[in-house]
Amino acid sequence: MFRFIHSSDLHLGKRFGNFDGDLPGRLREARHGIIGRLAQHAREQGADTILLAGDTFDTETPAPDIRRQALAAMRDHAPVRWVILPGNHDSLQAAQLWSTLKAEAPENVVLAVEPAAIQLAAGVALLPAPCTTRRPGRDMSEWMDGAATAEGTLRVGLAHGAIRSFSEEGAASDVIAPDRAACAGLDYLALGDWHGPLTVDARTRYSGTPEPDRFKHGRPGEALLVNLAGRSALPEVSALPTASFDWQTLDMHLLEGDDPARAMEALLPPPARRRQTLLKLVATGHSRLSSRTALTEAVARAVPDFALLELDENGLVTACEAGDLDLIDRAGALREAAAALLAEAEDDGRSAGEREIARAALARLFSYAQAVAS
Amino acid sequence: MKISALRLFNIKRFAGRGVAIEGIGDGVNVLCAANEFGKSTSFEALHALFFQPYSGTAGPVRNLRPYSGGNPLVEADIAHGDQRFRITKQYYRGGFARVTDLASGRLVAQADEAENFINALIKGGPAGPAGLLWVRQGVTGIEKRSNAEEDGEKQVRASLLESVQGEVEAITGGRRMAEIMRAVAGELDKVVTKRGPKAGGRYATAIEARDRLAAEEARLAADVAALREALDKRASAQKRLAELDGADERRERQEAVAAAQANFETAQAQGERLKTAEAELKLARERRDVAERALDAFRTALQKTTDLAAPLHEAERRRDEAIDRRGEAAETIAKAQAAADLADSQEQEARELLARLDAALRAREATERLAESRQRLNEAEAKRGALEDAEAQLALVSIPPDAVEALQALEIELSGLRAVAEAARPSVVVAYVGDARGEVTMDGTPLAEGRERSYDGQAQLIVPGIGVISLRSNRAQSGDSRLEKAEERQRTLLASMGVATLAEARARQAQAQQIDARIRELRGSLSSLAPAGLAKLREEVAAQALAGAEIVEPEGDAAALRAALTAAERERSEARLALREAGPARGRAEDAVVAAETALATLRAEQAHLEAQLGPADQRGARELALSEELADRSRQAEETQVRAAELRAGAVDLVSAEAALKRARSVQSSAEQQIVALREIVAGLNAEIRARSDEAVEESWRETADALSAAKLRVAAFEKEIATLQRLSAALDEARTEARELYLKPVMAELGPLLSLLFNDVSVTFDERTLLPQTISRNGQEEEVERLSGGMREQLSVLTRLAFARLLARDGRPAPVILDDALVYSDDERIEKMFDALHRQSRDQQIIVFSCRQRAFQKLGGNILAMVDWEP
Repeated sequence: MFRFIHSSDLHLGKRFGNFDGDLPGRLREARHGIIGRLAQHAREQGADTILLAGDTFDTETPAPDIRRQALAAMRDHAPVRWVILPGNHDSLQAAQLWSTLKAEAPENVVLAVEPAAIQLAAGVALLPAPCTTRRPGRDMSEWMDGAATAEGTLRVGLAHGAIRSFSEEGAASDVIAPDRAACAGLDYLALGDWHGPLTVDARTRYSGTPEPDRFKHGRPGEALLVNLAGRSALPEVSALPTASFDWQTLDMHLLEGDDPARAMEALLPPPARRRQTLLKLVATGHSRLSSRTALTEAVARAVPDFALLELDENGLVTACEAGDLDLIDRAGALREAAAALLAEAEDDGRSAGEREIARAALARLFSYAQAVAS
Repeated sequence: MKISALRLFNIKRFAGRGVAIEGIGDGVNVLCAANEFGKSTSFEALHALFFQPYSGTAGPVRNLRPYSGGNPLVEADIAHGDQRFRITKQYYRGGFARVTDLASGRLVAQADEAENFINALIKGGPAGPAGLLWVRQGVTGIEKRSNAEEDGEKQVRASLLESVQGEVEAITGGRRMAEIMRAVAGELDKVVTKRGPKAGGRYATAIEARDRLAAEEARLAADVAALREALDKRASAQKRLAELDGADERRERQEAVAAAQANFETAQAQGERLKTAEAELKLARERRDVAERALDAFRTALQKTTDLAAPLHEAERRRDEAIDRRGEAAETIAKAQAAADLADSQEQEARELLARLDAALRAREATERLAESRQRLNEAEAKRGALEDAEAQLALVSIPPDAVEALQALEIELSGLRAVAEAARPSVVVAYVGDARGEVTMDGTPLAEGRERSYDGQAQLIVPGIGVISLRSNRAQSGDSRLEKAEERQRTLLASMGVATLAEARARQAQAQQIDARIRELRGSLSSLAPAGLAKLREEVAAQALAGAEIVEPEGDAAALRAALTAAERERSEARLALREAGPARGRAEDAVVAAETALATLRAEQAHLEAQLGPADQRGARELALSEELADRSRQAEETQVRAAELRAGAVDLVSAEAALKRARSVQSSAEQQIVALREIVAGLNAEIRARSDEAVEESWRETADALSAAKLRVAAFEKEIATLQRLSAALDEARTEARELYLKPVMAELGPLLSLLFNDVSVTFDERTLLPQTISRNGQEEEVERLSGGMREQLSVLTRLAFARLLARDGRPAPVILDDALVYSDDERIEKMFDALHRQSRDQQIIVFSCRQRAFQKLGGNILAMVDWEP
């Protein structure tokens, strides 16, 4: 029986330049914190090995502090053993990184930089497929098929890359055979690269990143606890929560009569959780001018609660009626201007951009009119 | 409402009296009067009547009061609808207001009720529509005026427009519109200016951030690319280094070098041997050639010796002959020389004899010539002495020829003059009586009987026995000056000639002529004796005396001597000819001897050379044999050596290619070593670069910057959308408001348009929404601010605007008179005429009252002419 934790794509050192303020720093720090959380899980679950299936570092040249602090943290969690596999972000092409790691790595950190079996424990062989370059152009796991191990030895594969053309990096020609586990007689194939957890088959899994770094996957980060009972047994896998930040995309579909502020409030996570939440609110459906203004205001009110709150209202169609225009003015020049903007927004002969601008201008006129009226 | 009469009393300059303007009718009424005639006073009074309460003492009221004080009174007759009223007001003491129905004479209202009645007439007091129809002198309604007045008039216009068009607020959006526009403009102002993003604004900052990040991103991307390239380079360098530095590779390279070296050394040894053999062969061949040449030379010399014997003998014979001939020639020449020498001496002797004879003859001749010359000289010298004497005499007696003539002429003139003088002198004649003859003397001289005697000045007659008679002539003696001058000239002339009388002069003249003749004769004989002069003759004589110093006696016969000389000369030339003929013969003979000797010497030298080559004659056969044997021996040796060299050459290895192979092997080895060194250096360099960049974490920075850049781009895009939205909104609001304004001002524009077209071609006016007055006009497509127009145009525009509002009022059922008080001061006559066309056109249903001081201009403009008449209340 062998028990280990499967994780990948830590992307230590990622800087999140697309955010402002102290959020990037918090996100970066959260990534470093994964080491401690994984180690804690390992200790709690009685697993002595943590397999990191690639992209441990975000770049080929992580800053020295990132590298050194990560190794120091890993050393601190001995006797838990860490196996680090080169991924596409930190491939072997980054020779400087790997030679430095080799020089600095503590005893409980194993660098899986050769396609050669590593004995994890008695009767357990790890078959790593390190990425030699950023884009190897071939299936690095192929060698596992021919790798001989003693009879009865548990075979654990460790690889990084896409199994279909759905790589995190877009189209990829170097896909790992989806049936590698079967072909190579692996008891478990631990994969990295895909940031969301994914079960390929009973013996093949992506753990996903333990700490998400984008809105794409919509699931909180986790690591996999894998328990291999024996050669013939299927692996027992369970997910362990690891993320400190939630990256959520919430769809909010509105109907014309809906009160958008109330609808939004119903969707938002509990206030205590919001500080650790990056939220993208995608509004769709239909809304009146007034509702739309109310939504914008409600979002503006909620923003300080969150690590990040964004409203995407591109999918929200504004319905405008005479009553709405009446709220601007019943007659006169203001009404004329509003009517002209509305006509332009609904004019199919105009480009989508122009219509969008006219719509926005109308909404703006509406909000100004309300402000002046009050 | 229409006004039909105006009367005033005790107002301003009309202190204590009154004037009335009666008969104001419909249409255009014109009151033309000079300044200070009371027009404006009437106007002000009328204005006060309608707009100043009777009880008030406001400024306009105070202005009405004359300096002397008193109570101003104003009265007007008006028609309102079908009714006619008289309105009367008096201010200050006993002030009242009163409205009377003219038809019935009934008092309609008085005091405050009367004021109310008036207010109702003009609807709303000074702010009522009627108020704006007053156009005062110098007030065009467009110039700066007091705020209260401005506002009042504006309210009038606004109320009028509102009454015909509706609330301005409702139409233009009013305050809300303005606030929204201000908010929009404020938002836009924060981010953009007319020229683009506002410096320091959020939009500009976002754009700057984006650009800065883009540059940063590009720089970092390049850094990352450089790092990756360095990594790749190092990987390939290390791979290549491993290959080159491998033990097998090294051993292979070393073995290749060793093999090539051995091969090269073998080739080199073979090459040396071949070189030696070839040198030997060359030597052997040379030795053989030497022997061959010695034998040939020996045989040739032998042959030549034999051939040379005959020519040598012949040459000796020729030399002997030549020497003999030379001896003969020398002898012949010696003889000829002797003969020539003899002839020379003979000739010389004959010549000397002849010369001596010639000299003797010439000396004798000279002696004779000298004697003759001396004789001639003596004669000449004698002649010369005579000549000099004669010349001396001549000088003594010579007289200039014309002097005698002049003297003669003077004599004649003098005689004439004396005769004249004598005739004029007093004279005395005595005629003696008895024998008293000659007793009387005059100045001592007796006076003869009957002889007239003249005297000068005074004379004394002594008459013996009687006494002395003094005669005195008392006349001036000036008449005698010519005579005196002539006598003076005669005296001078005679003195110059050294004679006393003319006769003497003539005698001297003859004497001079004789001497002159003698001189000429003497000169002739002197020149024949000494043609070149006496001095020359003396020199000749001296020279001849010197030459003929020695006298030699001649010897022999000259002819014989001459013949002997000729003969001697002939002999000498013949002897010389013979000698000259003999000379060349000797030269030729000598040349022949030299040639013969030379030929002989040459042959003998050749002979001696050959003898030396051949050696003693008895050993010559043995020597030839020895030489031929040596040749045969050496030929054999050379053939043997050649065979040996050919064998070696056939077996030789190519040294050049062996060396090339060695060189190549070595260069392979050394270049591999160099490459290893170079690669190590490259790797070391790349190591440093990679380490540096890795420590800088460029890739992290790059990814961070790329993320930030995309965020910045989104932000800029959001700003762009925001700006577009705001600009769109601003444009929509502007457009709507402009349309609304046009709609609001439409009625007055409709009235103004036709009026404008009467005065101006193609002119349109826009109104200021705030003041409801013309703001800009556009002419020929050019917009102009009304404030910048000429005064004439401004006042015309003002009047037309008022007329337009008046029409609007009339249309609204509230007709009001338009009163123009000198409102056209800047306009020229032509414009005024056109203005009046407009007024007349307007006046069909409108009362217009015009006050003007421009009598002449307004005279022909038609309308109802008003006059001011005295009036008492």
